[in-house]
Amino acid sequence: MKRAARSLASVLSSVLGRTSGALLTLVALATLVFLALRLLPGDPAALVLGEQASESERAHLRQRLGLDQPLVVQYLHFLAGLARLDLGDSLARPGTRAFAEVGRALGPTASLAGLSVALGSLLGISVAVLSVGPWLGARREWLHRATLAVAALPLLAFAPLATYVFAVRAAWVPLPGDPESGLAGLGFAAGLLALPLAAQVARIGRAALLDLGRAKFLDAARARGGSAFRVWVIHALPAASAPISVVIAAQLGALLGGAVVLEKLFERPGLGTLMLSAYAARDIPVLEASVVAAGLLFVAVQALAAALSAGIDPRGRGT
Amino acid sequence: MNRGRPGAFALVPALVLGLAALAFVLGSDRSPSRFTLELAWAAPSSSRPFGSGDAGVDLLALAGHATFRALILATLVALFGFVVGTPLGAAAGLFRGRFEQLTLRVCDLVQSFPSFLLALAVLSAVRTPSRWHIGLVFCVTAWAPFARVAAAQARILSDAEFVAAARALGHGPAAIVLLHVIPNLLGPVFVQIGTSAAGVVLGETALGFVGLGPPDGVSLGALLEQGTLAMLRAPHVLTVGAVSVLLVSGSLQLASEGLRRSFHVE
Repeated sequence: MKRAARSLASVLSSVLGRTSGALLTLVALATLVFLALRLLPGDPAALVLGEQASESERAHLRQRLGLDQPLVVQYLHFLAGLARLDLGDSLARPGTRAFAEVGRALGPTASLAGLSVALGSLLGISVAVLSVGPWLGARREWLHRATLAVAALPLLAFAPLATYVFAVRAAWVPLPGDPESGLAGLGFAAGLLALPLAAQVARIGRAALLDLGRAKFLDAARARGGSAFRVWVIHALPAASAPISVVIAAQLGALLGGAVVLEKLFERPGLGTLMLSAYAARDIPVLEASVVAAGLLFVAVQALAAALSAGIDPRGRGT
Repeated sequence: MNRGRPGAFALVPALVLGLAALAFVLGSDRSPSRFTLELAWAAPSSSRPFGSGDAGVDLLALAGHATFRALILATLVALFGFVVGTPLGAAAGLFRGRFEQLTLRVCDLVQSFPSFLLALAVLSAVRTPSRWHIGLVFCVTAWAPFARVAAAQARILSDAEFVAAARALGHGPAAIVLLHVIPNLLGPVFVQIGTSAAGVVLGETALGFVGLGPPDGVSLGALLEQGTLAMLRAPHVLTVGAVSVLLVSGSLQLASEGLRRSFHVE
């Protein structure tokens, strides 16, 4: 009980410690979006309405977006809006708040990314344990080579090919854009997105486990007659959790980018689709809100992964 | 055992691909901007070995020019990162203190950005992103990994005797960084060039795939997008696109792996 409380406290304190860094990243990203639209040459109102729009229409839009005010006032307004999660209404769909659109898109993306992280971690950790444990014998080397090959394959090249093979030729999974693709469609997309993550987790996990292989506490576990499963999974794996969660956290940016690509490939709704349509329509409030929301998602999960690793690895706990 | 050898051989695919793309762009009159509407989505034939794509574009021309431009962009961005990041990191590692902390802190910030969000944020301000804009987006973050690697190496080198000797001889900080520290940390930094270039190719492809590519549609991402759109009626387009992306990014990854081996970098 006391131990659980202590590990919870260590998780909490490291969450707090990382929050400042995460917030800094987030504010920097938000500021960049804000400045890009206002400082770079070109009139955002003309970008939104097109070159043909009359001057009065543009002036009206500038006023509505607050673009006629001094930059500092706009920025303070923008930050206040961020804090209240209210960046105004969508331009493409008047009457809908930008963050409401983001909220609606967050669900599909979160389920895609969450399922991918779960699948990728599970697969990657299993492969890592299999490639150091005694079960596969000489075939361990093949497993390692296969891992390296998958890690080198770009998602962009194999995801469309796999979709062609499994959806078009074999018809095992729904075609891209099928509105009734349901769980099979989500599972297939998440599986594709999980593969590069799994390969990285397996690669780093294997290296970390090999590193631990000669550790005294594993010798102790072996000396007590622990099975290979007990030694590697119960004793070694928690100690390898720090590098594994670091690699998962490091892959989150790629995962987010990959989710955008896969949403486009499978024509799924989500944050990526929303960002791209807001970009195409120059829907500035929605674009700002979705980029900031994606950044928030990213830094939050990254901080969580780092904190979890601090909590899981028994050696990292304060005594 | 000669451990320099495998490294040198691993550079061959990237060099061959680069030279072949250069020869194709200079020597062939096939153009990716000429459209033969009646050949749209036509399967490979003797006159068009890769077949045709959207609006009857010659896929051989599109793949060749897109590969060439991807390699040029990747090389330029990686060189920019190298030229800006290396001296910065070397100076940070050598002088330590506040300067190093600040540099590494900014590296953290830049490297923890999801690059796709950054690209979207910057490109959102322009009507139609050109190749220059796209290159600019990658340059914003390209220097950080170089600075980090150079800083780590320079930290080790700053205790070396030849650096102390150069100081004792009265060389200025700039001379020490440029003449003494940088030449001795180039190995690990060279490795980063290959890694960065491969990353830029994939980043550019991803941007092109989701519609943030150059307006003329000559990019590996746009080629791949054509392929996925016509997956049902013209699967050869998808094959050409996916294989091109695999070849370009694979050859660059192999090159960086080779550099890693020849310079004994872990």
